[in-house]
Amino acid sequence: MTDSQTDRSSRTASETAPLLRIEDLWKSYGDEEVLRGVSLDIERGDVEVLVGPSGSGKSTLLRCVNRLTEVDSGHIYLGDVDICAADTDPNDIRQQIGMVFQDINLFAHLTARKNVMLGLRRVKGMDREAARERANEELDRVGLGDQVDSYPAQLSGGQKQRVGIARALAMDPEVMLFDEPTSALDPELSSGVLEVMAQLVEEGMTMLVVTHEMRFARGGATGITFLDDGQIVERGPPEQLFENPEEERTAQFFQSISHE
Amino acid sequence: MDLPALFSTVLWAIAGDASPLVVETVWSVVETVLSIEDWQFVFRNADYLLGGVVITIVLTVVSILLGFVLGFPAGAVETYGDGYLRSAVRNVGILLRGTPILVIMIYMYFVMPIEYLLGPINAAFGGLDILLGPTPFAAPDGIGTAFFAATLALGLRSAAYQSQIFRGALSSIDDGQMEAARSIGMSRFEAIRHVVVPQALRRSVPGFQNEFTIVLKDTSIAFAIGLGELLKRSDDLFVQQTTAVLEVFLFASLIYFVLTFGTNRTLDYVENYFAIPGESS
Amino acid sequence: MSGAETTESPTGRFRTTSAEPGPVLAVLAGVAFWGWLVTRWLNDWVLARIGVGPGAGENFVPRGPFDAAAASVADVSAGLGVVGLPIEWTATVLSTVAIAIDLAPALAGAAWYTIVLTSVSIILGFFIAVPLAVLRVYGGPLKWLALAYTELIRGTPLLAQLFVLYYGLPLAIWLQDAPLVGYGSIPEQAFWIAIIGFTINGSAYQAEYIRGALESVDEGQLTAARAVGLSQYDGIRYVVLPQTLRYAIPAWTNEVVYLIKYSSLAAFITVPELYYVASDIAAQTFEYTAIFGLLAVVYLGIVLTATKLMDRVESRVAVPGIGRAEGRKQGDA
Repeated sequence: MTDSQTDRSSRTASETAPLLRIEDLWKSYGDEEVLRGVSLDIERGDVEVLVGPSGSGKSTLLRCVNRLTEVDSGHIYLGDVDICAADTDPNDIRQQIGMVFQDINLFAHLTARKNVMLGLRRVKGMDREAARERANEELDRVGLGDQVDSYPAQLSGGQKQRVGIARALAMDPEVMLFDEPTSALDPELSSGVLEVMAQLVEEGMTMLVVTHEMRFARGGATGITFLDDGQIVERGPPEQLFENPEEERTAQFFQSISHE
Repeated sequence: MDLPALFSTVLWAIAGDASPLVVETVWSVVETVLSIEDWQFVFRNADYLLGGVVITIVLTVVSILLGFVLGFPAGAVETYGDGYLRSAVRNVGILLRGTPILVIMIYMYFVMPIEYLLGPINAAFGGLDILLGPTPFAAPDGIGTAFFAATLALGLRSAAYQSQIFRGALSSIDDGQMEAARSIGMSRFEAIRHVVVPQALRRSVPGFQNEFTIVLKDTSIAFAIGLGELLKRSDDLFVQQTTAVLEVFLFASLIYFVLTFGTNRTLDYVENYFAIPGESS
Repeated sequence: MSGAETTESPTGRFRTTSAEPGPVLAVLAGVAFWGWLVTRWLNDWVLARIGVGPGAGENFVPRGPFDAAAASVADVSAGLGVVGLPIEWTATVLSTVAIAIDLAPALAGAAWYTIVLTSVSIILGFFIAVPLAVLRVYGGPLKWLALAYTELIRGTPLLAQLFVLYYGLPLAIWLQDAPLVGYGSIPEQAFWIAIIGFTINGSAYQAEYIRGALESVDEGQLTAARAVGLSQYDGIRYVVLPQTLRYAIPAWTNEVVYLIKYSSLAAFITVPELYYVASDIAAQTFEYTAIFGLLAVVYLGIVLTATKLMDRVESRVAVPGIGRAEGRKQGDA
């Protein structure tokens, strides 16, 4: 994580090209078109929040970024590497892109610490002591320093998700993807997770977040993208989309969710 | 409470005129079972029978191991593989699971040219014996054709069943585990190896327990190819003293029961030892 | 095991295409197999008695031509050396067909024993197993009786049980003197002892499967039944058992397949079922490979038919939401 990007609002135009460039993505499942020509640029240090009704393609977009899902056409550039190119090794890319799942997906047979250590040891090749220390650090960072030896089944939902964040952070990613990280959690439990995410925002992490948590969107986002039916309807800073949306559909969407 | 009277009332109610015959039969059975002489015969020959027990146990363990070595990869291929390899594995499995173990054993003994494999194996034992020369241990003399045939039959069939156990366990692991592993940069193989397999093995234990007792009891079928395991030796004794037949087979059954009970409890313990804390089954 | 591929049709709904040969071949094979069996039974028991056809136990087709063909093909291949291997293979196939022709009548008769032995034992065992399982789960103080029975029977080998029943107990002698046994077309005592043995053995295993299925039915079902006013007995009978039996179908299918295969052990107490007949003939003609190969095919035919049948039964009685409880499904949070 570079220090030079901690002040998000003072981006200068002379900075280098966007960290993550999504160009004209198309993806269909069978006959159903899920992404229809989506393009998006994410600068380093941006916190982009994706919103939209279910089925709009938000999760699919996220999963295309770390190639858990293959696109039908289009490009995604991380720096100058085309993630979607056939000769790009997905395993390499995934070390630079961290993902946090709605279903959390902690490795059920490993303690919290070992969950974090697994990637460090098997993918990055760290030795056991170094991996252990690093895991302890990351878990401390998300506030679970005292739970390192607990198994997933022994943790609450919010704690599990924080371990999931630690696991992804331990790989030193350039970008963090969050796929509805709190949707499966009870409201009381999600606050801990949102705090950790806010902390990451402070630290300048580049984040692409799919969420319904409007508090987070208002407080932490640098930009909001409204996706509907596989296309970007509107995109802009939070104030614009919340208070003064340009599109009718955007206004309708925010209307409907403010009643939740 | 007048038990005898109650008993005879019930008996007459059920059996009517045949009651005396029923009583006679039951009494003769009881007499046969409680024959002291015959039990003495059994105990005198207990060490002969226990030699059979050793063979039974060794046969079981070796067959289960063979089944695991072949069955686990087969299960993995059936879960993750595709194309001709997967079809081949599936069809061989169906064949092995659909044929009676008795037929497979006879086939191994009479039809399959297993002598070709047996030669090298016995030579290997010979070599092992030489290696162990200076030590107080000695390698077994070599294994007989019957034992080898029984091992192959039980082992291959067990592999076919174990592949199903592992296939079920592997595919019951939530897809999300695999996704999470891949999302931190693990390759498919690494993800299977470090994340899916450890969980799948734990889930396989009940099925494995079942398989173990089945193989243990099916060693008795090696009787048909003359292997001197427990049931065959019981039969030998029966031929010697036919009045002791009931006692002999009851004694053998008791031993089998003790073995299966012991195995089940041991595997229960193993399951608990490796269980993931916090998960309820 | 469906082998059909799914393709996407223009309407966007997935449809199975029957482009794969698998299922069609299987149906053809099934028809051929059962066609042969039923024809043979009809011939031996009905047509032979009224003087129609080749007679009981006689081949439908003469084996001579096949033997001759096999011999001449073998001659041809012998002259060709290594190149002649595929031709030699053809000779083996022809001679196997010849052996099969001779073997078929005997095998068909024995198959009848195997099938009847298995079916009767399974059904009788079922009627013992259900009360046993109910006793285990709801029985209160009598639970241990059912437990002892199932543990003892499941913990000892089937062959040992058969030996105890046949050699150990005076059952054989008793049954031999019983009226009707061995008379005419009624099988002798060994068959009935085998039925008793398989019934007892099968009942213990079935009790265990049904118990497992019983326990996977939610407790609330019985509670709701009682709340409506049904007695414990009626609640079990009309609410719990119908669900239980559906859950138990996969395990029960396993038991059927198991019993079909292990009926071969009845050979050791002289029941003339498939294995007995086959090994008898093999000991005389020494054609072990062909005979036991054909034997395996017949067993496979019976086993596969049974599984397909049970699959059909399962679909017929299926109720949405009552799934296959094949074991513990974990990963349910």
